[in-house]
Amino acid sequence: MREVAIVGVGSTGFRAVTPDVSYKEMMFEAATRAYQDAGNISPRKDIDAFISVAEDYWEGFSIFDEFVPDQLGAVLRHLFTVCGDSIIGLSTAYMLIKTGHFDVVALESHGKPSDILTLYDVVQFAMDPMLNRPLGGHPFFVAGLEMTRFLYETGNTKEQCAMVVSKNRGNALANPYAAYGADIDVDDVLCSNHQFYPLNQLDVSQPSDGGIVMILASNEVAAELSDNPVWVKGVGWAVETPSLETRCWSDAVYARIAADMAYKKAGIGNPSREVDFAEVDDLFSYKELQHIEALRLCRPGEAGLLVEEGETWIGGSMPVNTSGGNLGMGWALEASGMQRLLETVLQLRGEAGSRQLSDVDVGVAQSWRGVPTTTGAVAVLTNY
Amino acid sequence: MATEKITDIRHMLHWPGHMETDYIYTQGIAGEKFFSEIKENEKIYGGRCNHCGQVFVPPRLYCERCFRKIAEWRNLGSKGVVYTFTVVYIDIDGAKLDEPIMYALITFDGAEGGLIHRLGEIKPHEVQIGMPVEAVFRPQAERTGSINDIRYFKPQS
Repeated sequence: MREVAIVGVGSTGFRAVTPDVSYKEMMFEAATRAYQDAGNISPRKDIDAFISVAEDYWEGFSIFDEFVPDQLGAVLRHLFTVCGDSIIGLSTAYMLIKTGHFDVVALESHGKPSDILTLYDVVQFAMDPMLNRPLGGHPFFVAGLEMTRFLYETGNTKEQCAMVVSKNRGNALANPYAAYGADIDVDDVLCSNHQFYPLNQLDVSQPSDGGIVMILASNEVAAELSDNPVWVKGVGWAVETPSLETRCWSDAVYARIAADMAYKKAGIGNPSREVDFAEVDDLFSYKELQHIEALRLCRPGEAGLLVEEGETWIGGSMPVNTSGGNLGMGWALEASGMQRLLETVLQLRGEAGSRQLSDVDVGVAQSWRGVPTTTGAVAVLTNY
Repeated sequence: MATEKITDIRHMLHWPGHMETDYIYTQGIAGEKFFSEIKENEKIYGGRCNHCGQVFVPPRLYCERCFRKIAEWRNLGSKGVVYTFTVVYIDIDGAKLDEPIMYALITFDGAEGGLIHRLGEIKPHEVQIGMPVEAVFRPQAERTGSINDIRYFKPQS
């Protein structure tokens, strides 16, 4: 059977601001690193297709697709842009290779939110223009509404969410790609400014700039390009409903459906036992707990206990967000999911430096498209 | 990657951009019904799917579960309960608000879904899940057929 592997990764790393480079130069750097990592391939002749993941409004362009090819070496080549999260981009690359018509595919994603002077106005523009936008206010109130109901229904606590922040900001200290490494404790989080009750300032990921490129290949050529390919065993994606008025407010239904799709493809029946570690979306602290439960890495309502008992920390039985997550690496718009993928690849290759986990073979990466969406994607990766 | 990098931030050039987009968002048939009933009659309407029996608020012309057309409107009154809530302390640019804004999802008896709106005439620490609330409408002359024809929801008297 035709299999798909990630055979090269490259990243600029993530920083709060990047006034020294344009978004194109950022993509060029990530691509150069990825091509070198994948056996020094040439994009001009060795790559069969290119996929970039971008959204016009984040970029400040109409039809951003046209601004992508040159910095990836894809001029006069086969490229399209996916308007979605980068794990949805990975799913697209996976499918291209599965068709049998493409052997090597490059996948690109980046975020440069520091260029957007009215970042949260762009978020607000994602809300319903008649029912929600006229109410005004910071659009992250949607996350506050969700956290209130999530804590109410599951019994997880604000303190446990604060532990997630402490863990992830701490993990980011050991990640040279991360923008927001910090040594903070639960009280620091609980005493930070109120923003969107029950969310405090430190519960909310801050924006970061950076780019990531990955090279995917079929099993027929993977061994030529990499000594340590990471296999994409399953992908899944789902959207719940666009309407804030009729969505579920306690569970990440989109993540559960996406995970079930990916697990089924990967042949995983009992994720809490078969998965060794996970990288999940944590744009807001509670989202990590909500996503762990949706991915069935614990029983419903027990994600908070996992972080409290140390199980999701490095050294625990189910480490989550060893990279630092979005809280530690920053919210890099569509590249946020790609950060989760990157860490999963590095851990499975044994290249995660001082935060390296021991004996890991199966990792799960999960993304969410952020407020106000109910869209998510999941990938199951292995090193065998 | 650039071999020579700019190291003095004063030397960086940039171009200020402004994406101006003006739209008219059409309310559609279900939206027309919903906003007209608020404006004219101070009533919140849902739509009932005759296939699955669910009443959705706000109403739409089609059922998101069955993909069937919805043709029956249901008057849900103007009273509901707080399903979930939040208190917002900063504005969209991150500046601290003088007075925090309370938002809630209000659900209505017999209907799936609810309305997102502000809460008023209550202190942030008094808000609770399950609390009965009612809509406070603007005076008729000020109404425009907008969600803001409801000023906010307040605790039921």
